[in-house]
Amino acid sequence: MKAIDMNAARMRCVAAALGALALAGCAGPAPDGGLGEVSTLAAQRIGQPVKLDASSREAAEEQVAQLLAQPLTADSAVQLALMNNPGLKASLGELGVAGSELVQAGRLRNPSIGFGRIGNGADKEIDRSVIFDLAGLLTMPVRVNIEQRRFEQAKLNAAAQVLRLASETRQAYFVAVAAAQSAAFADQVRGAAEASSELAERMSRTGNWSKLDQARERAFFDDALTQQARARHEAVASREQLARLLGLWGDRPAFTLPDRLPELPAAPLEPQNAEGSALAQRLDVLAARRDAEASAASLGLTRTTRFINVFEAGYANKSASGEPRANGYEVTLELPLFDWGGARVARAEALYMQSVHRTADVAVRARSEVREAYSAYRTNYDIARHYRDQVVPLRKQISDEVLLRYNGMLASVFELLADARDQLNAVNAAIEAQRDFWLAEARLQDAMHGGANKEQGAAQ
Amino acid sequence: MISRRDFFKGAGAVAVSAAAVSRAGAATLPEAASAADANTQVPPPPPNGRHFNPVVTLNGWSLPWRMNNGVKEFHLVAEPVVRELAPGMKANLWGYNGQSPGPTIEVVEGDRVRIFVTNRLPEITSIHWHGQRLPNGMDGVTGITQPAIAPGKTFVYEFVARRPGTFMYHPHADEMTQMAMGMMGFWVTHPKDPSQHAVDRDFVFLLNAYDIEPGSYTPKVNTMLDFNLWTFNSRVFPGIDPLVIRQGDKVRIRVGNLTMTNHPIHMHGHEFVVTGTDGGWTPPGSRWPEVTTDVAVGQMRAIEFTATDPGDWALHCHKSHHTMNAMGHDVPTLIGVDHRGVAEKINRIVPDYMVMGEKGGSMGGMQMPLPENTLPMMTGEGPFGNVEMGGMFTVMKVRPGLKRGDYRDPGWYRHPAGTLAYEWTGALPEPARSGSAGGHLMPARGQGNVELKVRKPTKGHHGH
Repeated sequence: MKAIDMNAARMRCVAAALGALALAGCAGPAPDGGLGEVSTLAAQRIGQPVKLDASSREAAEEQVAQLLAQPLTADSAVQLALMNNPGLKASLGELGVAGSELVQAGRLRNPSIGFGRIGNGADKEIDRSVIFDLAGLLTMPVRVNIEQRRFEQAKLNAAAQVLRLASETRQAYFVAVAAAQSAAFADQVRGAAEASSELAERMSRTGNWSKLDQARERAFFDDALTQQARARHEAVASREQLARLLGLWGDRPAFTLPDRLPELPAAPLEPQNAEGSALAQRLDVLAARRDAEASAASLGLTRTTRFINVFEAGYANKSASGEPRANGYEVTLELPLFDWGGARVARAEALYMQSVHRTADVAVRARSEVREAYSAYRTNYDIARHYRDQVVPLRKQISDEVLLRYNGMLASVFELLADARDQLNAVNAAIEAQRDFWLAEARLQDAMHGGANKEQGAAQ
Repeated sequence: MISRRDFFKGAGAVAVSAAAVSRAGAATLPEAASAADANTQVPPPPPNGRHFNPVVTLNGWSLPWRMNNGVKEFHLVAEPVVRELAPGMKANLWGYNGQSPGPTIEVVEGDRVRIFVTNRLPEITSIHWHGQRLPNGMDGVTGITQPAIAPGKTFVYEFVARRPGTFMYHPHADEMTQMAMGMMGFWVTHPKDPSQHAVDRDFVFLLNAYDIEPGSYTPKVNTMLDFNLWTFNSRVFPGIDPLVIRQGDKVRIRVGNLTMTNHPIHMHGHEFVVTGTDGGWTPPGSRWPEVTTDVAVGQMRAIEFTATDPGDWALHCHKSHHTMNAMGHDVPTLIGVDHRGVAEKINRIVPDYMVMGEKGGSMGGMQMPLPENTLPMMTGEGPFGNVEMGGMFTVMKVRPGLKRGDYRDPGWYRHPAGTLAYEWTGALPEPARSGSAGGHLMPARGQGNVELKVRKPTKGHHGH
């Protein structure tokens, strides 16, 4: 009775496996290797269309040339990077690997045929066997399921890579624009210092000023020179960083940056359900959740196969000289006398709980990171707006007042120039504040959609 | 309160004065008349009491009084005021009865005087009657001769004006602050006999100084010496009224100094004698002619002369920085400095920048925007162009045929033909110059190059 039951169950398993085999054919990756799905995942989060699979090389070239013809915006820089960044291309290759593994999982191992011949004088014994991977067949749905999840994970990873690159590109873009703007200001500060120094030198030559006063003005000028040199290098360095992310090299036309950072938005984002949307959107949260689901599934598998250690079934026949061929099959069944599989189930349960906890951990981090990123975003917005609306106009007002005092011979030309330097420095600080806002904005988007890349890296 | 001008307007000074007295009389306190502007207000002859020849307070006025059982009663109100230093600039000061300095008090030798002093300042005050002979308890020194007058309180001072002459009044409580804020006033005790020392025109003003940062309104009360506005009666040129004089008039000018430095007051076109000091009238035999008299800190001088020569004659402090308004003390000298190229560079950073000072300090009539509430450093427009003056500077306008008591500005002097400096348009031969500058006593050496060399003594001078 029991054996019959077992047989019936087995036959049902085989049938299910064969059914799954048929299904596995359909469960393979999409013809674009999952790129379209990754594009959609990323586009939902970046807020602009993402096209990862160029239809043709020429079309891609043309599009790149089109983007480069205009001064870059943060969005066009991201588009360029996604089309051009070699690191991303390499990462997307992984997606193909995972995709083919999924296909592989949906295929049965080829049956093998064994043939053995043993001679003992005239006695010969020939063993013939056809080994068919029944276990493979039986476990195929599960394996396909696992590979499917791994493929899903690979897509999430790829989307995370896309988001990371987009975020890095945006940040590099803002840094580069701000650095160029600062370098232009450093030129102006140098001009102010140069005028002071030159005037001081002429005054000294005419006998109106001491060498001490002249040297002091000269020292200002020398400071301004080094500041200018540093600012220029910063501009070059940050531009190169951007160029690397954009994947541009020598024979590409040079990209142009706008003269100014984009204006601050009229109003800051309000933190409406930012944490909730982060939990729904963040790729690391999704990945952790999928991982927990996969663990749950494999826990179920372990539970159902706890008594079967190695389940092998095969056709076997045996023929010996002078004896009729013996046909049959072999099934090995482990008797759960010493190992009831409890330890394996416990392990699987522990693994499952681990992934559940990891998911909770990721969620806690995600919420906290969003809160922190929002605080940074809001603070930087307020500071940048304060600079724009208060500090810079106030500086301008001070300069106007100093000019009025110069007009009345109440202040000297050197005070006028020193104040001009201060004003330029204030404008520079305002540029930095504006840049910091855009960086914080990019990081907030990252925290809400992409997720902590560093955590993901550490988990892997 | 009524304004002094309204006070004298209309049917008659006496009637209006009586009405004012009766209104205030109910409160047993004399009316505290108040002035609303900084114009010179020529007082009428005294409506009651002993007769005297009133003085003309430059950009000021004299305080009306009431007679109460033979006592001359005045009412001074110490209060915050806004004083126009010159058109275009106002200052938040402390003063008396609406103005700083306060009104001039005029009495006659032998008058019994009762002065009510009401304190409407946020802090204590008192009044010291500078130069007067009076009972010690009326001297107005806080803590020594009387308690301070608390805010909101009124004190009464009463004494007989014993000595004729020129006096001042000012607080003797938190003096530095209160004088830096403009609390002071003039006092003249006329002689019993109006014909004694009689003059045709008798001008009075106080010298005072303020430190008001360009763009601000309130003096810096902690400034010790570096004041930037030097004033006659809290006015600066071109805000100071002219001294209008009829040719041939005998003129007296009384000056009191309540600044922290001395002022050599210089008169053009006439010489004068000092006829009075803080101590009284100088004996005629001790007077010598001057064109400048130094008025030291806390002093008064009365100078007299006959205005023989018509014209517009300058009268000013001879410290040249006292005839300027606020200026920068740390502005370097740019005379002779070539600005070519530099100016363009500066213009790139400061678009409205204009080169100034490379030919000297003269503004050459440039009209440039200045900070709020700030007068140009040197200003005033005369018939021949910019006067380039400020601070303690005014003009005596001596004209023939003016009416007695007419102090209206007669306009600029018209110079008779041949009495005006003119441009030489003839040839200009090169003047002969000395080739040996320094002469024999101190011959120039080294072709004008000054070189410093250390020469060590070769012998002797050891152990120094």
